[in-house]
Amino acid sequence: MGGRPRPRFRSVWVFHVDASACNGCDIEVLDVLTPFYDVERFGVKLVPTPRQADALLVSGSVNRQAVIGLKRVYEAMPPKPRIVAAVGACAIAGGIFYDSLAVYGGVDKIIPVHIYIPGCPPRPEAILFGLGQLLGLVNKKIEAKILYPRRHVLDRRYGVLFNERLYKDLRYYLTRYVGYYDRDYILDDLLEIINSSRTVEELREKIMDKASRLKDPRLREVYSIAGGYIVEKIKGETGTVQGKHRVQV
Amino acid sequence: MAKYFEKTDKWVVTFRYPLEPLEPPRELRGKPEINPDLCIGCGACAEACPPNAITKEIDYREGYARIRIFYGRCIYCGRCWEVCPEGAIVLTNIFEMATPSKDDLIYEVNLELHTCSRCGRYTEFTERQIHRAYTLLTRIPRERRKELLDRMFLCRDCRRQVFSHDALRSRRTDKYGRASQTPF
Repeated sequence: MGGRPRPRFRSVWVFHVDASACNGCDIEVLDVLTPFYDVERFGVKLVPTPRQADALLVSGSVNRQAVIGLKRVYEAMPPKPRIVAAVGACAIAGGIFYDSLAVYGGVDKIIPVHIYIPGCPPRPEAILFGLGQLLGLVNKKIEAKILYPRRHVLDRRYGVLFNERLYKDLRYYLTRYVGYYDRDYILDDLLEIINSSRTVEELREKIMDKASRLKDPRLREVYSIAGGYIVEKIKGETGTVQGKHRVQV
Repeated sequence: MAKYFEKTDKWVVTFRYPLEPLEPPRELRGKPEINPDLCIGCGACAEACPPNAITKEIDYREGYARIRIFYGRCIYCGRCWEVCPEGAIVLTNIFEMATPSKDDLIYEVNLELHTCSRCGRYTEFTERQIHRAYTLLTRIPRERRKELLDRMFLCRDCRRQVFSHDALRSRRTDKYGRASQTPF
């Protein structure tokens, strides 16, 4: 039983405060109470009044109206544990509204906070992880990283047909066809093909071969369009070799 | 009755999450990280970041450009990843970031600043940015390249001095084509 730390609290009753949030975090807090993420199995219960609460779940960047209520809720809590959890980016440091005049930017500027749960909004799992830490079920996993890397960047090795301008244009076009997520996987694959081929004909053959072997018609279409685009662009230039390619400044 | 419980046991939908590890979906936009081997410290991510969770500051005393992510303010929009010219930003699917202290939510990359080849002071760009510009310069015609190479390694003040000196020299010449002694 060395792995899991011992629970600090038996059952924590929480009161949820919406300190001028956009309701994104509040909906995720409600999600935590659903049967999928059932937080009540740890004894955590949502209570309707701060007088019964051991902990506060505060969401939202605290604005001038909300600060009055937040202070009153904090004073109404029983004095003993008075745990405060800041849920979401706004409650931690103001989020996207951090430099607004109407906003205090962070719960910790008003009342002391015991646990910060980042996310915009945080996933229900992230809130569970935060509450688990509060109860002593799990340990924190993140810590500050300050890096001092080497002086020079490594030269990435590209093949003779690689052209940086073309790569960036291709990235833009693929975004329009397949969206952000699939784009990078296709782009990595295409880059590998471009780097491994030495002539334009070889490149065209390789891409068309790859496209014909795919089962997904959407991907097949994208590969053939991208292949045609690459071949057309590379052929249009005077020097296909990177060394001969000239940039106008 | 025993049969009933047997059946319902299979129908339990609750995740055992904090007690057992959970594999997040691959598409989840989680905590962004900077690949320290690829970052050149241009600050494009800091420009694009809507809540200014990524900031760039230049420390002239120590000679470092600091690119710092504060995850507490990050809204996981992925714009930094979109604009990064070097592909140095990595979007991981890590979401377990709850912590009792705000100091844990910092990720910082420190890159060495370039020193001016004329006055020896720190410039506002990093050594890696110079290296990147140099690799781009190799594709430029030779006659144009020479002119740019002279000024690439200078700081802003020295560059201004050299430029204005050259400009005045070229304008103020006597009838033999020599630079005049008095610049104005």
